[in-house]
Order: sequence, then structure tokens, then C-alpha cells
Amino acid sequence: MFVAKSIAADHKDLIHDVSYDFHGRRMATCSSDQSVKVWDKGDDGEWHCTASWKTHSGSVWRVTWAHPEFGQVLASCSFDRTAAVWEEIVGESNDKQRGQSHWIKRTTLVDSRTSVTDVKFAPKHMGLMLTTCSADGVVRIYEAPDVMNLSQWSLQHEISCKLSCSCISWNPSSSRAHPPMIAVGSDDSNVTYSGKVQIYEYNENTRKYAKAETLMTVTDPVHDIAFAPNLGRSFHVLAIATKDVRIFKLLPMRRESANSSGPTKFEVQVMAQFDSHNSQVWRVSWNITSTLLASSGDDGCVRLWKANYMDNWKCTGILRGDGSPVNGSSGHAAALSAVGIPGAAQMVVGAASAGRYFFPHLDSPRAGSRLAHLLPPPSLIEQIYEPDPSHAPQLRQRHAANSIIQPAEHD
Amino acid sequence: MEKMTRVSGTVSGCTMFCHLDAPANAISVCRDATQVVVAGRNIFKIYGLEEDGFVERLNLRVGRKPSLNFSCADVMWHQMEENLLATAATNGAVVTWNLARPCRNKQEQLFTEHKRTVNKVCFHPTEVNMLLSGSQDGFMKCFDLRKKESVSTFSGQSESVRDVQFSIKDYFTFAASFENGNVQLWDIRRPDRYERMFTAHTGPVFCCDWHPEDRGWLATGGRDKMVKVWDMSTNRVKEIYCVQTIASVARVKWRPERRYHLATCSMMVDHNIYVWDVRRPFIPFATFEEHKDVTTGIVWRHQHDPYFLLSGSKDSTLYQHMFKDASRPVDRANPEGLCFGLFGDLAFAAKESLMSAPQSVGDVGRKTYPGGDRRYPIFFFKKPDVTEQFAQVSSALSVFESEAGSSVGMDWFINTAQSYLLSGKPFAELCEHNAQVAKRLNRPQESTTWTMLRIMFSEPANPSLSSNHNLNKSGNLPLVNSVAFDHKTFTFTLFLAARKSLQTVYEDVFLCAENEETEGSEGQAEYLFGDAELDDDDLYSMEHDNQAEEPEYLLPQEAFPLRHEIMDHPSAPEPVQEKPESPHVSGSEAESTCLTPMESFSLISVSQLLFSPHLPPKFFCPIVKEMLCYYAEQGDVQMAVSVLIVLGDRIRKEIDELTQEHWYMSYIDLLQRFELWNVSNEVIKLSTCGAIMCLNQTSTTLHINCSNCKRPMSNKGWICDRCHQCASVCAVCHHVVKGLFVWCQGCSHGGHLEHVMEWLKQSKHCPAGCGHLCEYT
Repeated sequence: MFVAKSIAADHKDLIHDVSYDFHGRRMATCSSDQSVKVWDKGDDGEWHCTASWKTHSGSVWRVTWAHPEFGQVLASCSFDRTAAVWEEIVGESNDKQRGQSHWIKRTTLVDSRTSVTDVKFAPKHMGLMLTTCSADGVVRIYEAPDVMNLSQWSLQHEISCKLSCSCISWNPSSSRAHPPMIAVGSDDSNVTYSGKVQIYEYNENTRKYAKAETLMTVTDPVHDIAFAPNLGRSFHVLAIATKDVRIFKLLPMRRESANSSGPTKFEVQVMAQFDSHNSQVWRVSWNITSTLLASSGDDGCVRLWKANYMDNWKCTGILRGDGSPVNGSSGHAAALSAVGIPGAAQMVVGAASAGRYFFPHLDSPRAGSRLAHLLPPPSLIEQIYEPDPSHAPQLRQRHAANSIIQPAEHD
Repeated sequence: MEKMTRVSGTVSGCTMFCHLDAPANAISVCRDATQVVVAGRNIFKIYGLEEDGFVERLNLRVGRKPSLNFSCADVMWHQMEENLLATAATNGAVVTWNLARPCRNKQEQLFTEHKRTVNKVCFHPTEVNMLLSGSQDGFMKCFDLRKKESVSTFSGQSESVRDVQFSIKDYFTFAASFENGNVQLWDIRRPDRYERMFTAHTGPVFCCDWHPEDRGWLATGGRDKMVKVWDMSTNRVKEIYCVQTIASVARVKWRPERRYHLATCSMMVDHNIYVWDVRRPFIPFATFEEHKDVTTGIVWRHQHDPYFLLSGSKDSTLYQHMFKDASRPVDRANPEGLCFGLFGDLAFAAKESLMSAPQSVGDVGRKTYPGGDRRYPIFFFKKPDVTEQFAQVSSALSVFESEAGSSVGMDWFINTAQSYLLSGKPFAELCEHNAQVAKRLNRPQESTTWTMLRIMFSEPANPSLSSNHNLNKSGNLPLVNSVAFDHKTFTFTLFLAARKSLQTVYEDVFLCAENEETEGSEGQAEYLFGDAELDDDDLYSMEHDNQAEEPEYLLPQEAFPLRHEIMDHPSAPEPVQEKPESPHVSGSEAESTCLTPMESFSLISVSQLLFSPHLPPKFFCPIVKEMLCYYAEQGDVQMAVSVLIVLGDRIRKEIDELTQEHWYMSYIDLLQRFELWNVSNEVIKLSTCGAIMCLNQTSTTLHINCSNCKRPMSNKGWICDRCHQCASVCAVCHHVVKGLFVWCQGCSHGGHLEHVMEWLKQSKHCPAGCGHLCEYT
């Protein structure tokens, strides 16, 4: 159940990325108009733009926050072949009065010879590290040896991926059992090169990143990739935005001997595959407990995916980006039948529809797509649901919610 | 393509290239678009443009020892006289060439009036014999090709001239750009003074180009990486468009037949050629990425054909680029941004056209036909060329905020973290408390788990009292079946509910029932065993106070997801229907079950143990371990860690250290995200992993100065060993502070927290009277 709030972003061209900070109170947007804006959530719950500045001399593809332990730090990457690190400066009194903050550039990373398509900070337990990937297929890992000095970054690793890279994602697991791992997606449009997602793992012995896995079943251009927050799991979950949404599960296989030097072998399972966006999927994002996946595609919709108790993923909600005043008031409420906590999962599972999706772990991705076709749209699930009198209060609420969303879905 | 051939008539071809012998400095194309001249320091050749490749037609560098006059900085082919070329030599000479000369040396005229490199030569677009040059020495000269010397000399008095261009529409006007950032407009008849001058760029202006149609528009490019379009037709020169590129702009050329398009290339770093739509100045409309070194010359092949671009480069190649082969950066640009916030809110930015597109999200399976609506014959429409559309676009940003109390939000996590008790009370009370917390937050599964844990690991209560109570209680309950059986089943049901998927639990229940039947033991006695019974009683005794509530141990209805029928399963046992009064079945439809071998195995092992007279807590450890893993894998690391802490030694040895550490780290990280510092600290304190506990012992050293003598405090005592006074005296009450000492980072005065807080309510100044306006944050 969401309330859609439209924000007048006032970017002069496309917005390519939005990013929440660690504590969820700040947001950064970047755009082709070469600027980055920082939004702070005020006490009134509204988002206020507290900084907007020109960051690059080309489209800014991505913006990302560092862990707040390192200060208020942003990194951005751009078509102009650079990535930059920015830090917020406090103490400018006249800026503060206007509600504006001041960001200064700490460094520019100029190693790439082509457009830098993604930038990500490594998980905090690895220290202050920054990763970029570029259109010529090189992933670069930088480290700030002194976390107090954000203007010094040394290039630690260069991984050549052969294919033009579009997105990267760090495995967030902080477990000592999981060596640092990074997944790289390629938007190379040549479908004959298969394996558009490569996974690299740090090898303690060689002190290098080595390819651990290539997801050969991904043959179409990949636009976004996201590891789910690990939260104590022994395996890894990876969401991929390509021509459909895919969720992979990577189970580390037990090593034969503790000191074997090769990269970890993974058992790769396709957990789900959905083409209900009916178009290119541009973004995937996990919620903090990794129970909910959001994806957005060329259909202009955000779809929410959730696994039920059987690891059976399905759509639990569709959000239209109708915060715009075109379709009426900006406070237009888009209520949804989404569920977030494991304990409440059972509420959505309708009597007649639950079992139909039963499938164990899929062996081939094709099976996944076939099953995805079987899924009725969520609105259908709602209607099948037979109200149980003992849960009348909850249901009333949910049906009320439906009556709001249904016009939005069908018009 | 159709349009193109109509416009240009003869121009056709494909993307092609040829190797030159040497790097090119400039290229120029002849009027009918069939030949191109390439000039450089060591090259001066004419190539014919064939359908499928370049063909070398003529080498103009002749003679055994070519003079410096052949070393060209610029070249221009006359647009009216097809045999006439002019080059600007690096030694300051301006040379004209006549291809009609019968001998091998085509050189016609030589003007050596400039003292330094000539950067640019330009023929008048309509006047055959007029040639203009601009040089590094700061002068521009106009030549009449019928005379041996220049007709007039223009002194910019600015600095070196980088470009000169005759206006296409105004007969007498030309523009010149300078290294100091100025652009001047001159009238060819008035060599004494420029008509207009304005500063166009910071740093050198390397190039300029008049718009082929718009009389007043001039595009300029500079080292400041910008391309600016100026409107000269007004009284004040006005900047109407500005394009920011990623490298200094060496050349700029308006695209024919496309009013708002221009092509640029750079002289450093960047080897690509960009075509921009000036109305959307941020993303290149098209990019040609073939060159491996700096592109030095670009020219549109035909003045009325927007699809062919020729370029020469320092990498010694000459390219013909086809527009259809250009890469379009905007196609690869991501039109959407999406991010989940910490509290379950979702920020979403998308191209406005995507959001307003009339799409029905309901019909998922429908495919859109590429040819558009089938009702109309396709040839009725003159489809606009999609590849040439590059309208101004913008994105809409919206935040979907999770409503308070909704299931997508994270309130439950914060509430749970704050309300759970992890230590400080007896085990049973902790479990009971946490069960209540979970129940209050509408998390029945977790609540049940806590209750179960209490039952399993608690010390046995007084047997006589509880057995009595057991009977009473059972009388109140709608348990028609044997009490003991139900309790027993229930214990495992609930327990497995957490351990496994809810699905399998349901089956497990049935299996229990089935086991009972197959073994022919209707009596409940076999299912009763001493400790377990006491455990159950313990449950009741704990619930004693709030009997009025619904039975705690009843699994909420939702916990039983309804099982579908698997048709192809051969032996679906259906024992349930026989006991319609059984509480597990009430409220559910008739269901058939199936069991995987694994499940039945686990159940069998359980049911075997049911007969054992004693059931020590240790018996449950493997199951509890499995349950904790289950919670962790479901993303509820909070539950895993909380149980781990509350159970303490009872379970700790069962789970390997690394996993525990991983859980702790994950939970602490989550708590810190939500700024639940106190809870996080408590968890760190209560943890038993070495790696976690030491988190609290890092960065705990504070170096302080004595508040009297301002010197560093060396020893660990309270007294400064220099001034022999107590260092940490409260500035308000003048007593030594033991415990929390809060101080201002500006003046370093401070004291008891409550004293300082009280003081600051009344005064902004430092309580020590030092006059500092203190800030305690």
C-alpha cells in the first residue's frame, strides 16, 4: 500500500538514476542535463531539493551514496568518461539558511576511455572502495587508502570483461565465508555472445579478481543487475533486468579442500523469470529485507515481486508512475495489494490460485517463462479470493484498496 | 533512403574507409560530392568516392623534395570552380591548385604574405576569385586570385586567428574566431575595423560555421568544450543554444537539411564524431566511433544530403560514415531510475512519455503489432522517420511512500527491535514477552515460534497442578479429539511451521494423523510422554492470566495456506475428512496431501521419538537450528539473532561460529541503518562471537586535554599531573563529573548532561563564562 507523491524534479532532460542513502532519508537523482540533485526528507515528510549542481560535461548515468561512516559522500559517473566523488560540506552558514547544502568535488577518475556506465561503492566491510564499469568492457576497482582523504584513490584492479558493461553490483554479504564478489552486466546487443552477466570473485591467494561464473542463459542486453541484501543467507540472490526480469540463486558449492585456490563454484538456479513488462526492463531494486523486488520497464510501470513461502515468485502489485498531475491530483493514492513481511504472506495467497503455481526449483529458464505466462494478473487474484468472515476487517481494507487501484489498472 | 536519393540524386554508398599514408589535417569535398581531397603534413591526395570504396585519383605531392608548401594545415575545394583548390601551409604560405593544369605539378599561385602558420583558408561561396585566409600571426588576408598579392589585410588585434568563414547569405560578411575567445564580424569592404566583436568562449575559439539557411546563425566551438549558437541578426549578439561536449571542440559543421543539427569533433582525447540536436544539448543525437585517433576534419559529403559524413583522422584513415550506421547514445541511455528506500518507499523516475503512454497493464499476454493498427492499410500513412525524432524529453520523479502500518513498510522491524527483550529476565519470561510483542505486531508465525521455544526449553513446572489444569483447559477448547494428540501434533505443527514452509506443515499434521491410524493406536497414551506433557502444561500455566484471549497455541488461520491438489500424485492419502471436528481442519477446505520423502522422513523420526519417555531440550536443537536457518534465509535475520541470543548456550554450539557471526553482522548492520544504536549496542554486548564483541572495543580511546591548563592529560587518573586539579569538573555545579561528561567542541567546557541541558535552556553562552556560544549537538 503506497501513496504516490510526485516531485517536481526540474531536471532538464531524462533522469537516469535515483538513489536512496543508507538511512533512507536522502535521495540523489542524476540526469542527462549533467547535474545531480540531492533531496532531503523534511520533518513534514516532503522531499526538498537541498543541492543541485553540474557534475559532469555529459549525461550522468548513475549516482550512488557511500556508507555514512565515510561522511556524506556521493559518486557519479558519466558519458564524459569520468567518475567523480563528491562530499557535502557543512558550515556554509548562508547556504544553510536558504536550506541549501554545498557539495564539492573530491576527485575525478579519468581512467576510462569510454563512457562510464555504472559506479558503485563496495560494501563497507571492505573499506572505502569504488567500482566503475565502462562501455569498453573494463571494470575498475579503486580504493581510498586513507578514508579521511577522499581526493586520493588508487586503481587497485582492472577487470576486462570483453563485452561492453552497463551495470555492476557488489555482493553485499559481509560473511567471512563469502569472498568479495561482483556481478557485471553487459548491454552488448549482439545476442550471439551469450552470457551477458559475469560474476567475478576475489581470490585471496592471487589477490586478483577472477571469473567465477557466467550466466550463459542471459543472452539479451542487460540493463540493471542487483544482488539482494544478504542478511545472513548462505546463498546469493541476483536480480537481472534484461528483456524480462530474472531472479537467480547462486549456491556456493562446498569446496573439496579448504585451501583450493580456484574460484568458488556455484550452483546456479533460476528462481523466476517474468516477461510481464512486455518490453525492456530497465531497473531492478530490492527492498532492505530482500523480500520484495521492484522492477520497471518500458511500459512505464513498476512491478513488485515477492516470493511466497514456497520460494515461488509472483507479482504482488503494479504501480503506475502516475504521480504526475496529468491524471488528477498529485496526492493520488495508488493502493496496492503488496505484502512485505513474511508473517503476513499468507493473506494474499488465494484459495484457488495458490497451488497452481507450484513449481520446484527450475532447471531451465524456459520453464520459468512458461510458468510466468500462467500467472493471472494480480487483479484477478484479488477477485478470486473468497472472503473469510474471521478476517473481515483486513479484507475490507483490502477491497477498499482494490477499488482504488482497479480503475488505474484498466483504463 | 527514398528521400535521400531524391535530394542528392547521385549520392549513394555505404560506411567505408581507406588507409592514408599519413595523418590527415583537413579534408574537403568537391561540389558534386564525387571526390574528396585529403591534406596533411605529409599527404595531399584526391580520392574518388565510389559506391563501395575510396579510389585514389591524384597525388598532388609531387617533386623529389617536396617543399614546406605541401605541408597543409587546411584545405578547401572551391564550391563553384571544380578544378580549384586552396591550401593553408604550415610555413605561412597560401597556395592555390588548379587540377586542370596539364603537368604533374598542379600548383597555381603562391602567396607568402603570412609570417606564421596559416590556420584556415576559405573561398567565397559565390565570388569565384575571392579567397580568405586566417593565420597564427593574427592577420586575415583577402586574395583576388587574378592578382599576385593580397587585396586587403584585416588585423584582428586580438590574437591568432583560428578560423575564418564567409557568410553564406551575406555577400560582404565574414566571421573570424580567435585564440583569446573572441569572434569578430567583418565587412570585406572595410579592412580598417571589424563590424562587431563579442567574446564567445573562455579560451580559444577553434572553429565557427554559418548556418546554411538561417542568415544570422553562427555556431562556434572552443577549448571550453562548448558549442554555442549565436544569433547575429539582432542588435545584440545573442547566444541561443549551447551544447556542452566532453572535449575541446575542433570542428563544427551544420548538418544539411536539418535545421537544428550540427556535427562536431574534438582535437584531443576524444576520437568520436558527434551529431547534436542543439535543442537537446545534453545527449548527442548520433555518434560515429570508428576513428582510433583524433578526428581532424569533418565534412558533409553533399550540401543537401544529411546522411553522409566524411572524416579524416590522425590515425591515417579516411572514412565515409552513413547515418544509419551511427550509434545512438540515447538508445542506450536508461530512461528510468528506481530505488527502494530503507522504509519500504520506492523512488521512481521515468521518461514522461513512457508514463503517459496509454497502456493497459491488465492484458499481459497481448502483443502489439509492429505495423500499428490493422484497421487501416499501412500505406495510407506517411510514417515520420522515427530515427530522426529527437524531441526534448523530461522525466517525472515520484516517490511511492509506504503507508503507515502497511505490510511493505518497515515499522514492524523497528518496533520488534525496540520491544524484544533479549536478556535480563528468566528465559521463559523473555520468550513470553517476545511472543506477545510479535503477536501485537501481527506476526503470528514469530509469536508462535517464541511460544514454542519457551515450551521446549523451559524447566518442567509442577506436574500435579498442571495436569489438573490441563483437563480444565481442554474442556474449554473445541478439541473433540484427544487432547494429548492435538497438543502433541500441535507442538510439532507449529514448530515445523517455522522450520519449513507452511505448506509442508499442513502435510505433517496429516501425516501425524495418518500415522496414528496406520499404527492402529487410537489411544492418546502413546503420544503422551512425561516431559512433553509437562511442557504443554507449562504452556497453560503461563497462559493462565489471560485465559479470556483466544487460545495462544492455535495457529492462526492464515498460517495454513491451502494446498492445491496435485492430480498426478498416485497415493494421496485423505485421512482428514474422517475427522471433520479436528481443529486443524476447521476452516479449511478438504485437501489432499502428498509427501516428499524428505518430509515423511523427518516426521517419522519425530514420531519415533514420541515414544521415548524423556525429551531433553537438546533433542530440539537440530530442529531449532534448522528453524533459525530458515528465518535467516527468508530475510528475517532479526528473528534468527534474537532467538540465538535468548537461547544462548542452549543452541549456540549447534551453529557454526561463522554463520553466527554472519547473522550478527547482518542484523547489526540493519539496526544501524535504522539508527537503532541502543539495540545494536545491546546485540553487540550480548553476542558471544569474538569478532562481534570486539566491535564495541574499537575507537574507544579519547584523547583529552585538561580543562584548566589545556595540556594533554597523560595519565589515567582524574587529576591533571601538571596543574594538579581535577580535570573533568562540571561547569555548572563545579563538581567532578563521574559518568556522562558532555562538552562543547568549541570551547571544551562542559559538565553533567542534565546540568548543561538545563543551562542551555536559559542561556546560549558557555556555563563556564568564557563567552563562547556553545553548540551541543
